[in-house]
Amino acid sequence: MTAAERERAYRALSLARALDDRMWRLARAGRAHFAVPCSGHEAIGVGYALAMRPGVDWLAPHYRDLAALLVLGMSPRDVMLCFFSRPSDPNAHGRQPYAHFGSRALHVLSQQGPQPNHCSHGVGCAWGSQLLDDGSVTVIAFGDGGAQKGEVHESMNVAAIHRLPCVFVVHRNGWTQSVKREDQYATQTLVARAAGYGMPGIAVDGMDVEAMHTAASEAIERARAGGGPTLIDAACVRFMPNTSNDDDSRYRDRTEVDALRADGDPLLRARALVEPEFATAVDAENAALADDAAAWAEAQPLGDPATVADHAYA
Amino acid sequence: MPEPTVERELTVIEAVREALGDEMARDERVIVLGEDVGKLGGVFRATEGLYDRFGPKRVIDMPMAETVIAGVTVGLAMRGLRPVAEIQFADFIHAAMDHLVGEAAKVRWRTGGDWSCPMVLRTAYGGGFRGGPYHSQSVEAFYAHAPGLKVVAPSTPADAKGLLIAAIRDPDPVLVLEHKRTYRAIRDHVPKGDYVVPIGRAAVAREGRDATVLAYGMMLHESLAAAETLAADGIDVEVIDLRTLAPLDREMILTSLAKTRRLCVVHEDTITMGLGAELCALAAEAGVLDVPPVRVAMPDIPGIPVDDVLEDAVLPNRATIRDALVRLVEHERSRSLNGSQSHGMVHGQAYDAAIPQASSIVEVALPEEHTRVAVDALVHAARAFPRCNATFAWTGIVEHDDVVVDLDLGPAAPSRGLGTITLVDYGPGGSDLAIPFVRPGQTAAVRIGAVRHDRAYVACAVDHRAVDGADVGRFLAAFKSAVEGVHAG
Repeated sequence: MTAAERERAYRALSLARALDDRMWRLARAGRAHFAVPCSGHEAIGVGYALAMRPGVDWLAPHYRDLAALLVLGMSPRDVMLCFFSRPSDPNAHGRQPYAHFGSRALHVLSQQGPQPNHCSHGVGCAWGSQLLDDGSVTVIAFGDGGAQKGEVHESMNVAAIHRLPCVFVVHRNGWTQSVKREDQYATQTLVARAAGYGMPGIAVDGMDVEAMHTAASEAIERARAGGGPTLIDAACVRFMPNTSNDDDSRYRDRTEVDALRADGDPLLRARALVEPEFATAVDAENAALADDAAAWAEAQPLGDPATVADHAYA
Repeated sequence: MPEPTVERELTVIEAVREALGDEMARDERVIVLGEDVGKLGGVFRATEGLYDRFGPKRVIDMPMAETVIAGVTVGLAMRGLRPVAEIQFADFIHAAMDHLVGEAAKVRWRTGGDWSCPMVLRTAYGGGFRGGPYHSQSVEAFYAHAPGLKVVAPSTPADAKGLLIAAIRDPDPVLVLEHKRTYRAIRDHVPKGDYVVPIGRAAVAREGRDATVLAYGMMLHESLAAAETLAADGIDVEVIDLRTLAPLDREMILTSLAKTRRLCVVHEDTITMGLGAELCALAAEAGVLDVPPVRVAMPDIPGIPVDDVLEDAVLPNRATIRDALVRLVEHERSRSLNGSQSHGMVHGQAYDAAIPQASSIVEVALPEEHTRVAVDALVHAARAFPRCNATFAWTGIVEHDDVVVDLDLGPAAPSRGLGTITLVDYGPGGSDLAIPFVRPGQTAAVRIGAVRHDRAYVACAVDHRAVDGADVGRFLAAFKSAVEGVHAG
């Protein structure tokens, strides 16, 4: 990563954390319906988003991909409109809860609820790139819980058969809401699956933004060059409960999580990549951006019932 | 040589093939994908020739994985291509349902119109060819229930072409249900060139006055055959080809029902929660039916059996449709005990709906004290004309063995409404002539007016839903002769 890329990476990681913290507290205070924390996952998305060509490449996002969206150009205010489910939210227009991202302008495929149905949508998107021959690559991100669904198998198989320009990234945090890794799959990691489809696999520390960026760059450029898809197994730790509706004290030990966090927080690790003064200034800037975005978005009007059936059909 | 002006006849499968080829030639964004659609040309040969004509990039053989077929189709459509996916048999479509109902149908709505999903998914449905429970199903009710999705079900070669072209050009996701028995069994005129049948419009396949059949797919053709046989019996059935199942052409359906006032829905899908339920509800809410609607559909069993006799027993056909239509029309027709004498009646809803009662009056010779004589005469007349001693119900007219006459002898002894026939008798103090009203649940009311010089006017009213107008006269004539015979004796 260049010095400028490191600064961009830090800026995005810091902003994601600031927004994440605000959303968690606001949801807990009952000011909004639903928060989906991304802390612990941020470096994965920042890594691939920085490796993508803005306005050219496509992202079929994971629901913990806030940091990637910020790199791709989503504003804090738009994030908060999504969080407060306002009709002016460019992601889901008040019709889907927070974290169902999507933006045609930013080349982010609209995301759905059932995980991870967007895998095949991403494959279709990549197929479109191949048919249109426009040189774009699609990054398809999902969790290791989602990876256990047949959807992912079918999608990776099709992408490999046709050497489609896409990259599969599994955010492997070891939990599917409350169910631990051992009850979801029998292997330690998922990277070996790549070989089963005839595609390269890369295992990476997903809390190391530089390592993630390197892996994503390699995979994206291979896809762009016609080398077909790659599976990136990005290990991370989910620092927070699954969502604001989850109580993770029922199934995991917080002290273990706190220890992992103290050890591997991607934001703290990224601080080492930039000047301390820069980091401090950016953190303060982002705190102010997050506060402004939350206050502004909460003040935006709710939906008009007369419009509820709009856009059911063209 | 000029082009022949005679329109070609094509089978349904040839029409589907023509639509796909024409649209792929017209628009490079149109691609076809599915199982065996390439070199094989599809198991039903819908895509035959397309692989050679357009190449493997646009005619794509997919793995045997319906979920990803639907999923990549959604993604391709969101990227702006015009994918036409084939699910080999509708029985296999449920693995794709999450992408059709959960994704394709919602994409536009959930993004406030920012995204769209202009995809087509074609599939072969329907039984009648010994395919068993996994190659014969009708799946329309599941998908017609999903707002955001359009569902079409062509029955004719021309519609197979025109609706498929419309579906490919439609900005929203369209499920095209092709009845596999129509593929080769139905051959008809198909316009050449660019031919679009608008989605959302039904068609009158046969005009008629007495009842409306709503059908689609192979059942349209069975319904038309049933209608033809009924025409010979003087029953004139209108058959509507729904063509689009979602959104329904409510206007055409209700226009037809407003004319015929009777509804018969025919589908191969199982009856409970099937499309017929929605169509009956539509008619009921609009208040356009004079009699209860009839559904001819698969019974509620988990699958279509492969055994020849069993499959034939569960699928609707022209004979079962005909039977249902006869019941539907007979229900409403005023029936005389002697059907051959029913000529001269005004047949149709105007007569029935305008006056639920038919009445007749006769002058009878009888004494001042005549209650016993009159009751005996009523029993005699009712036995002679049992339809006048019957109870009308929507499920059919029930004729009673016993004659129960309820006496309404004025304010001192009012009728309790317990009989089938009420005898209303005002005696010497009453008026000469008045028409009594039939009580709900009864069939006839007979009123004897004031007796003047051993003569009185007797008026009879009947529930005309059960009794032919001509029978009122016959019933009363029997009553008169019985009263006068006893009196004379």
